[in-house]
Amino acid sequence: MNGLIYRNLKMYFNDKSGIFFSLMGAMISFVLYLAFLSQNMISSWSKVPDTKLLLDPWLIGGTLTITAITTTLSSLSLMVKDRESKVLADLNLTDISYLGIQFSYLITSVIIGVIMQLIMYFVMSIYFMIVDNSTFNLSILPQIVGISVLSSFTWTLFNLLLLSFVKKVDTLGKISTIIGTASGFFAGVYMPIGTLPTTMQRLMKFTPAPYNAAMYRSALMNSQLNKSFKDSPALTLSEFKKIMGININLHGTLTFQQDIMILIVFMAIIGMCIFLISGISRRLVTSKV
Amino acid sequence: MKLLQATSLTKKFSDKIAVNNINLTINKGDFVALLGPNGAGKSTTINMLTGIIQPTSGKIEYVGHATTGHAYRNKIGVVFQSSVLDNNLSVKDNIMTRAKMYSKSTQIQILIKKLGLESIWKQKYSSLSGGQKRRVDIARALVQSPELLFLDEPSTGLDIQTRTAIWDVLNQLRQATGLTIILTTHYLEEAQTADYVYIVDQGTIIAEDTVIELQKKYTQNLLTLNYQNGEVKKITVNDKNQAIKILTENSKIISDFEYRPGTIDDVFMNLTGKEIR
Repeated sequence: MNGLIYRNLKMYFNDKSGIFFSLMGAMISFVLYLAFLSQNMISSWSKVPDTKLLLDPWLIGGTLTITAITTTLSSLSLMVKDRESKVLADLNLTDISYLGIQFSYLITSVIIGVIMQLIMYFVMSIYFMIVDNSTFNLSILPQIVGISVLSSFTWTLFNLLLLSFVKKVDTLGKISTIIGTASGFFAGVYMPIGTLPTTMQRLMKFTPAPYNAAMYRSALMNSQLNKSFKDSPALTLSEFKKIMGININLHGTLTFQQDIMILIVFMAIIGMCIFLISGISRRLVTSKV
Repeated sequence: MKLLQATSLTKKFSDKIAVNNINLTINKGDFVALLGPNGAGKSTTINMLTGIIQPTSGKIEYVGHATTGHAYRNKIGVVFQSSVLDNNLSVKDNIMTRAKMYSKSTQIQILIKKLGLESIWKQKYSSLSGGQKRRVDIARALVQSPELLFLDEPSTGLDIQTRTAIWDVLNQLRQATGLTIILTTHYLEEAQTADYVYIVDQGTIIAEDTVIELQKKYTQNLLTLNYQNGEVKKITVNDKNQAIKILTENSKIISDFEYRPGTIDDVFMNLTGKEIR
C-alpha cells in the first residue's frame, strides 16, 4: 500500500496547476476579503476595538475550512481519473486488494488536506503579520494541527461518499465547481452565518462546514477576543460569536468539544454510508472497461 | 503443458454479445496470437482472461486452478491497449512504485538493461516517444517476473524499428525465462511468428491452428505470369512443382513472373471478408 500512497502523493504534488486550482476556492475567499469583505465587516463592527486584528484570524478559520474541502476533493479526483483510464483495473492486478486501493486514496487525501491547510495557515498568518501587524501565536499550533487532521478526515470521507459513483473526469469537474463555490458559503466566509436567513442557517448546519470553521475560529481568535471584548458585557461577546460563526447555535451554544463531537458523528454517519454503498460502488466502477 | 485454458467463454454486455462461446488453450512457453479485425472481441477476451472483467458464462483455469485469486494475478503481466502509466511521473517512479505494490521480490535492474531504459530513467513518462513509452509499459508489466504476459495490441502506431526492437526483447525473454505470451493484434506480420493463432471475428473463433497449417488450409499459392505481349495472368497453384511446370511450358512467351505463397494476410482476408466494419 505504501507504494500506492507514495504514487498518489507524487501525482498530486507533481501537478502544479492542479494544486493551484485546488486552492482556488480558498484564494477567492482570501482575495474577496482583502478586496471588500473586510471593509464591510469592519464598518459593521466598528464599536469593537481592533476589529481588523479580530477579523483576520476569523477569515483564516473560514478559509482553512474551504481548503480542507477543496484540496481533499482535488486529491480524490485521482481516484476518478484512475477509474476512467483503466488504472484501477491495472492496480487490481497487483498484490494490493480493492479495499487497500481505496484506503490508499483515503490516506493520501488526508495527508494532502493536512499539508495544504497548514501551508495556507502559514501563508495567511505571515501575510497578516506583515500587513496588519497581527501576532503569530505559536502556542496554538498544536491545536491547529489537530483541527486540520480532524477536518481533513471529515472532508475526505465526505468527498469519498460524493464520488462513490463517479467514473468520469467530466462529471468530477462539474462537482468540483459546485463544491468549490458552495464551500465558501457553507463555511460562512462570504457572509457570516448569523447574517443569513434562518432556513439557510439550518441548511448549513446539516453539513460539517460551519462546525469545522467554528473550531478553527475559536482556536485562532481566542486571545484576540479576550483582548477586544475585555470591557464589553458578556452578552455582546456571545452575540458576536454567534453571528460570526465562532460558536454555532444548535439547541444552545456549542462548545469547542461539542464541535469536535459533531465532526466525529458526521464522520461516523458518512463512514457508515460509504460502507453501505461500497458494494454497489465497487461493481459500478469496475464493471466495464 | 497446458498453462491457461478457457472453456465456453461468453461475455454479454447489456445489448450485445461481445464474446460468444470461445475455447482457448495456451501451452507453457508458447507465443499465442489472437488475430482479428477491430471490434472482434479480442480485448474483451483478454480482459476476461486477466480477470479484469468477469465472463457471463464459461470457465478459465490456470494450471487447473481458478483465476480469480491473488496467486493468479501474481503470475500474469498485462500491457493494455492504451497505456495506464502515469504521465506526470518519471519512468523511475512509474516502475519503482509498481514494484512496491508486489510483495515478492522483483528484478528491475535486468529489465532496465534489457529494455534500454537507462537513458530515459529519469524522464517524465509524458515526454517519451511512442516507442519509448511502450518499452516502459512492457517493463512495468514484467516487474514481478510473470509467467504469462498479455499484450493487447502493443505495437499499434509504432514504427517498424520500434516494433522489431520490442519483439527482439520479448523473444529474448521467452528464450531466457520461458515466458508465455498472449498477443492480440491486427498486424498480421506480428502473428506470423506465433506458435499458434486464433482468428477471432464477431466474438467467435473462426479458425485456429499454427501459421503454417492455416496457410495450407485457407490460402493458395499465386503465380503471376507477365506475357511478352503485355498480358498478365494470375494462376493459383498447389505447390512449387506445379509452378515450375507452368513456367517451363511458358518460358518462351513470358517476360517475367511472380510466385507468392499464401500469407497470413490471405488467411485473414479469406476468413473475415473484405468489407470494412
